[in-house]
Amino acid sequence: MIARRIWHWLLAILIGGWLPVLLVTLWWNASASSENPFFPPLELIWEQFKLNWVFLNVPIHLVPSLQNLFLGFAIGVVAGIGLGALVGVSGAVSRYVEPVVDFFRCIPPVALVPIFILLFGLDSAMRVASIAFATTFPILIATIEGIRGTNLVLIDTASVFGLSRAQMLWRVRLPNAMPVIFGGLQVGFQIAFIVTVASEYLGSGFGLGAFTLIATDSFLILDAWTGVLLLGLLGYALSLVFDIVERLTLRWYYGQKQLA
Amino acid sequence: MPAVLRRIPAGMLSAVVALIVWQIIGSVGPLAGDSFATATEAISALWVLVREATFWLAFWETVQMAAIGFAISMVIAIPLGMLIGLSRFSYRSSKFTFDFLKVIPPIVLIPIAILVIGPTLAMGVALVVFANVFSMAIQTAYGVRDADPVLLETMRCFRMGLAKQIRYARLPSAAVQIGIGMRLALAASLVVAVVAGLVGGAGGLGTFLALTQSAGNADDTYAVILFLGAIGVALSRLLVRGHRRLVFWVGR
Repeated sequence: MIARRIWHWLLAILIGGWLPVLLVTLWWNASASSENPFFPPLELIWEQFKLNWVFLNVPIHLVPSLQNLFLGFAIGVVAGIGLGALVGVSGAVSRYVEPVVDFFRCIPPVALVPIFILLFGLDSAMRVASIAFATTFPILIATIEGIRGTNLVLIDTASVFGLSRAQMLWRVRLPNAMPVIFGGLQVGFQIAFIVTVASEYLGSGFGLGAFTLIATDSFLILDAWTGVLLLGLLGYALSLVFDIVERLTLRWYYGQKQLA
Repeated sequence: MPAVLRRIPAGMLSAVVALIVWQIIGSVGPLAGDSFATATEAISALWVLVREATFWLAFWETVQMAAIGFAISMVIAIPLGMLIGLSRFSYRSSKFTFDFLKVIPPIVLIPIAILVIGPTLAMGVALVVFANVFSMAIQTAYGVRDADPVLLETMRCFRMGLAKQIRYARLPSAAVQIGIGMRLALAASLVVAVVAGLVGGAGGLGTFLALTQSAGNADDTYAVILFLGAIGVALSRLLVRGHRRLVFWVGR
């Protein structure tokens, strides 16, 4: 039984893994003798990557980026779920609030950064504010939708048992809305990452995005490649972490779905 | 609530209230000043902008980037996705790679794109293609794989060839997923085209926005963002409607 499971795992890794390995090998070999200044050999990029990111520049550029990302996202989550819970409880209020929220959600999130540069200048406050603001709307929309969609039988049952409004929100409506809210959180987190990078491109100085763009502007091609590589890997790693957190948090929900 | 108010559509009423709140925030309080535009300032700035040729030229550039990028990514992704989806092995082999590339936001590539292509419309197009091609291909492949197994078995029993199986089972099932993917991709294309201009200097409304901001012209900055929001809302309404018509047999 266990041996079979391990066998399945191995097979899945082999089937999923051969293509990326092949692609990287191709890139490595094709670029090995590259004279094109914009496409340096992957080997050189890798050497420079180790020099930059293990771990020389990590505290200067990577840590502030992640700090802004998580702080901005956290503010956005609190604001989005908090406002969404307030608005979503009343059907009438949410009907009036939703069009305005929808409008904000339809603005490309990165386009909001200039507003915050005008307000705050180029420092960390601007970055966190842009991230928080852009993150709020998808989460807000999802929370309103999730809370409004609570099963009526569940609400009736809860009111028969004499739950107060606050209890109803905290113990019935919010947990039930969690799967929908998580959809909003996922979109919000992607947006938070994009806005983090954008705010660093547009604002000057520190941060992974700023490092990469400055390297580009100074024709430090290897540094630019390492920055792009790290940003790409980070984008994937963060989405992976998010999926795992969702799986763990919503385990009860997936369990329920399997039973049904 | 008075009966008169109830007859006004909810969207209109809330928009008016939001504009009034915006006006108040911008006129009194800590945000009043040059770096924050009030509702009236932004709207009158927009009124001036929409009568200028440069504004519409910028808009047209953005639309071009989005449309050409979208078209190229569909032409690549849909046939590729179909091929991948036809066999279990190729689907499972490419799933990880495509999922990996799919979640990398195109904005990350802008520095390299500036180096290799330069800050031009072509760069914007390339970013739009990168943004769509992987998710679209894997979505199409998923649609092809998702064809009703009973239907496929039945067709095999009747010895219908691969061509017929594709025509009558795989394609209709893929069409649903392609429809969903196209809807997401169209909205994403516009956003990426704006970002390519704003961050990468590829031209269009994004670059227009970057210039108004760096000139410290708050009124125009807010006006452009207002315009982008309006376009976004219109596009998303249009897409939802178009999608319902296109795959009318699904859902309602």
